[in-house]
Formats: sequence, C-alpha cells, structure tokens
Amino acid sequence: MLCEFTYLAPKKEKELLDILTEKGPELKLLAGGTDLLANIRLGVITPTIVVDLKKIPGYNVLRFDKKAGLEVGPAVTINQLKDHPDVKKNYHILTIAAEHLASHQLRNRATVIGNIVNASPSADMVPALLCLEASVVIVSKEGERTVPLKEFFTGVKKTVLRPEEILSQLLVPEKHTRAKGGFFKLKRIQGHDLGVVGVALLKTKDEYKCGISSAAPTPVLVEGIPLNTPAKKIIDKVLGAITPIDDIRGSKDYRNFMVGVYIKRLLEELR
Amino acid sequence: MVKIKVKINGETYIREVEENRTLLHFLREDLGLTGTKEGCGAGECGACTIIMNGKSVNSCLVLAPEADGAAIETIEGEAKQGKLSKLQQAFDKHHAVQCGFCTPGMIMTIKELLAKNPKPTEEEIRQGIEGNFCRCTGYQQIIEAVQDATGQRKEKGDLKYV
Repeated sequence: MLCEFTYLAPKKEKELLDILTEKGPELKLLAGGTDLLANIRLGVITPTIVVDLKKIPGYNVLRFDKKAGLEVGPAVTINQLKDHPDVKKNYHILTIAAEHLASHQLRNRATVIGNIVNASPSADMVPALLCLEASVVIVSKEGERTVPLKEFFTGVKKTVLRPEEILSQLLVPEKHTRAKGGFFKLKRIQGHDLGVVGVALLKTKDEYKCGISSAAPTPVLVEGIPLNTPAKKIIDKVLGAITPIDDIRGSKDYRNFMVGVYIKRLLEELR
Repeated sequence: MVKIKVKINGETYIREVEENRTLLHFLREDLGLTGTKEGCGAGECGACTIIMNGKSVNSCLVLAPEADGAAIETIEGEAKQGKLSKLQQAFDKHHAVQCGFCTPGMIMTIKELLAKNPKPTEEEIRQGIEGNFCRCTGYQQIIEAVQDATGQRKEKGDLKYV
C-alpha cells in the first residue's frame, strides 16, 4: 500500500510553478515513477502531494538541432532517447549508456531527467552526460537559471535544486557531436542490476573526458586529459579523483581495479 | 478519488479510483483481472508487466490515475474465443511454464518485443526479458518457445527428441 496523497496533473507549466511555490517542500514530482513509487511503497518518502508532469505540453520535447545541440524535456523516457536516430548518430555515448540502464520495461517509463534529479551516485546516464558538457535549465516562479551538470550535484541524493524549482530542460551542446566514446557498467549479474561502478570515456577533438559513477558521493568528471597520455597515467589521474567505498555491491578495491580495467578497454576502442 | 477512463483489452472501463492506487491493484482488485501478478512490487521482477499504449511497463510502478485515457493490454486479452495465442501455444509446447507466476508478465514483455522485432536473436530475447524473473525454468525453455513462435526453431532441439 502507498501512503495517502493527492494526485495533481497540471496542464500548464505556470500552474506547476504555482504549486511548487506554494507546496514545494511537501510534494514530489512524478515523471516515470520508477524510483518515486518504489520509494513511496517502501515508506522512505511520504509526500502529501504527487504532481504528475506528463500532461504539460512541451515537457516531452526531444529535439536535435545542428547548431543548438540536443534538448530533452522532463517527460522523455530513457527508451525514447536510446531509440532516437539523431542521438545515436551524434551522441552515441548516450545511446550506449541508455542501453545499460535497468530493464526494457523500466526504460519505457524511467526518464532521462529523473535519472539526473535522483542524484544517485550510480546514475547510469550521468557519466556520459558529464563528458558531453551537458547543462540543465532550472525554472521557478522567480525565473530561470542554467547550471552546468558538473555543478548540479552536491552529495548523495542532493542537488542545487530548491523545493520551489523544477529541472525543466536538459541541454547537450553540439560541441562534441560525433565524438567517439564508450561506457562500461559493472554489474553483479548480466541482467538488470544497479551498477557496481560505471566508466564513460569520450574522445573529443583535443582531450579525453572521463565520467565515473558509483565511485564517490556524486558522479565524477575528470577532464583535460591530453590525447597522447599513456593509459597508466590516465588511470592514476582518475583514481585520484574518485573515493569509492566498500558496500553490499562491491569493495573499494574491486571498484578501483575495475575502473582501471574499463579505462584500458575504452582506450583500446577509441585509439 | 479521481475518475479515470481506460481501455483494457478493447473494453472501456470508467471507474473512480483512489489517488494512491497502483495500476496493478486497480486491475487485480477493482476489476478482478488477476492474470497480472504482483511479485516484488518494486519494478525488479516483471511479474506485473502489462502493455500500456504499446509499451511494456511494470504496472506496480504506475498510478491508476496516470493511466487515464490509456489503452492497456493484459494477459486476459491474449486468448481469443478460448484459443490460446501463438505465443501462449509455444509456451505450452516447450514447457516454458512451470509454476506459471512469471508467465503473464513474460508473455506481455515478449509480445511488445516481437511487435518491434519479429525475429529476435537469442541474445535479443535474453536482453528483452532481462526485466522478467523466472525462478523455475532457467529461461531456456522460454527462449525456445519464443524461437518457435517466431519460426526460428527446428523440431530437433525439442525435449521430445532428447
């Protein structure tokens, strides 16, 4: 049984922003619900209001433009992103990351922005999005601000989002379109599982960028790695930037070791 | 309470539901459509998989009010006039059903997979059902059933000939 709450489904963004201003701290936003409803069922969270975003026009926007890059709205599912031909062609690393997220049914509901705002250290989409220099647009009744994704996370399940705000847009610049990249996610089983550790590596025109999940309180980005850097040096640099812990899914040593293995494999693919 | 209108297996239902009712409980408890099963209730096991607007989803993670206006397919819509669907027949033939608890969800997941990919490879079938747990068969018989239903199986491999 789920706790009792009021279900609201505003049809305009303005309506949503009014609700957020008035009731921000006691409500939860519902997009795919794959995390929210599981947590409500467990009693981890007990919102008095659940606000469904999916009826707001424009929130399902998934658009690529050669100049502006990629724009993703809060209702866009992981599978919509994964199967979009422009994403596959221009941001292949995102397609690969999306393939690693949960199971097919969950990808049919779970949203890209949901994966971001959850702020899980193990968020599967985030390492690749960090490499691509994505940013997020945050709106409230007071106005709008754009925050680079690398400044969005402040801790485990913590972000710069305030209760009266919503992350209304994810923007991926055109800067790294067609850049080669890859993503590996270590799991305990071959099927659907949370990541033990995840490593994304993007080869841009002048550097490597490496995004790592499940290895620190937030996903980590390591940038400015010159293209001719030997593998060992890259691995040392990345290991210096992460702080993995021992937990039920794996030990600190195993995580560190596998980050090295994955960087080597990704370099072989990209070089 | 909110009023919702849903089409389930071609039939329209208009009902008042509690706002915190999951689609799974709405189907099972309000409508008596108990073919869809509840396993983990948290999106891990896939026993509650249904097709909503053409996409397979875990009905335990959908609120009934979210389904307002949706077209839903459940296991009850598979057999027509007492005749099992092709997929159901293949499950029967290949012993892909043991305890049967995962079967309704498994069939709905595979139904959506085949709608997009009529001849999946073994790897594609395995990936397709990664969100559906089966604790009896070890999956092999299920994969064989899908291969047979999609015309990709030679009789030789069937249990009868072992």
